[in-house]
Amino acid sequence: MTEEKLNALRQQDTNLRDAIWQDETERPQMPADLNERLMQRVAAQKEKKQRRIVWPWIAAACAAGVLMIWLTPPKVTETDVVAKQQPKVEKSVEVVKPQTAEAKPEASQPVEETTIAVKPVKVSPAKPTINKLLAQETSVTEPTAAPMAEEAHQDLAVAETTKSQPEMVTLTERDIPITRPENYRYTPEELALMKKQANEAYLKWVELELEIAKFDLENTAQK
Amino acid sequence: MTIDIEVNLIEGLRQQSPKAQQQMLGRYGNAVFAQVARLVPAVEDAEEVYQDVFVKVFKNINMYDATQSSLKTWISHIAYNESISFLRKKSVQLIYYEDREGEAEKLSESEVEATFGHPNPETVQLIRAAIKHLPPDERAVITMFYYEEMSLKEIAYVTESIPTTVASKLSRTRKKLCKIIKMLQS
Repeated sequence: MTEEKLNALRQQDTNLRDAIWQDETERPQMPADLNERLMQRVAAQKEKKQRRIVWPWIAAACAAGVLMIWLTPPKVTETDVVAKQQPKVEKSVEVVKPQTAEAKPEASQPVEETTIAVKPVKVSPAKPTINKLLAQETSVTEPTAAPMAEEAHQDLAVAETTKSQPEMVTLTERDIPITRPENYRYTPEELALMKKQANEAYLKWVELELEIAKFDLENTAQK
Repeated sequence: MTIDIEVNLIEGLRQQSPKAQQQMLGRYGNAVFAQVARLVPAVEDAEEVYQDVFVKVFKNINMYDATQSSLKTWISHIAYNESISFLRKKSVQLIYYEDREGEAEKLSESEVEATFGHPNPETVQLIRAAIKHLPPDERAVITMFYYEEMSLKEIAYVTESIPTTVASKLSRTRKKLCKIIKMLQS
């Protein structure tokens, strides 16, 4: 059906037009305060919108600030790396010393056991009488000789364990976070220090062994 | 309304001027409420939809294109969509006549013209009763055409359709009304 025909029908359909007209006139009228309520709603929304505008900016600024602080990388220069490596050597010295000091009181209690363990190695099993005497006398001389031997053994043990187990980085990295690759291994200075300590300990141990042997010889000579 | 006044009104609305908003409500408020109340039966619901319509109009005034439609048609388009979506959302139970067997289509054009053309108060009352049995969209289209005297193009814009579809819908609705009248008479 074309528009012209429909327009013509619009004029012709008087009954239909009248019916719709009557329907529309009898329809309930718009409440008088409806527009007022609508304007109040619009104003409230506008206020809400203005409030909303401020908050995202504040939140975004805070977030940006935190992100900037968090994501800014620390400036690491070569001098910083050297400066960090230097005090690390000192720390390693500090850490090693208290461990040996701690080991002493623990080892001081089982003194007799250690000396007894040494005896069969040094004295031949063919002389049981000498052994008995030696046992009595060594128990007397222990307070002077045994702690020294123990100390030497402890130092040597510490030196050997640190040498043989380079994974025990925890000794020196208690205070240093393991976040930098230069902290994963010992520095050359640390290794040199440990070597020196191990050598000293070995020499002390040899000296001690010599003293024990000398003492044994003197005893046998007296007899 | 002259073009100048409408241009000024639109400019004021774009600046979110309360004065322009009130002016718009004064000019188009009643027509919009009537359009909404035609589709949404309960007055409370119609008030709610009416407010939603104008909030949307004030919010989206920048999207209005004067080359596509008049301001009144644009507002009618928003009102129609809001009303239909309200009915869908609320699932309002509506009882209306549906011509499933296509009996209305069998009626001749002369028979329909005779029913609507010859002035008769009794027929007018029957038509009023019959209109209540139409679905909301058909009721809206027939009112826009006969009461608001909108062109097919304008109705097509409001209902998001094309003029030929509107024309066939109008023709079908006329026949359907005639069929309902006959049913009521029998």
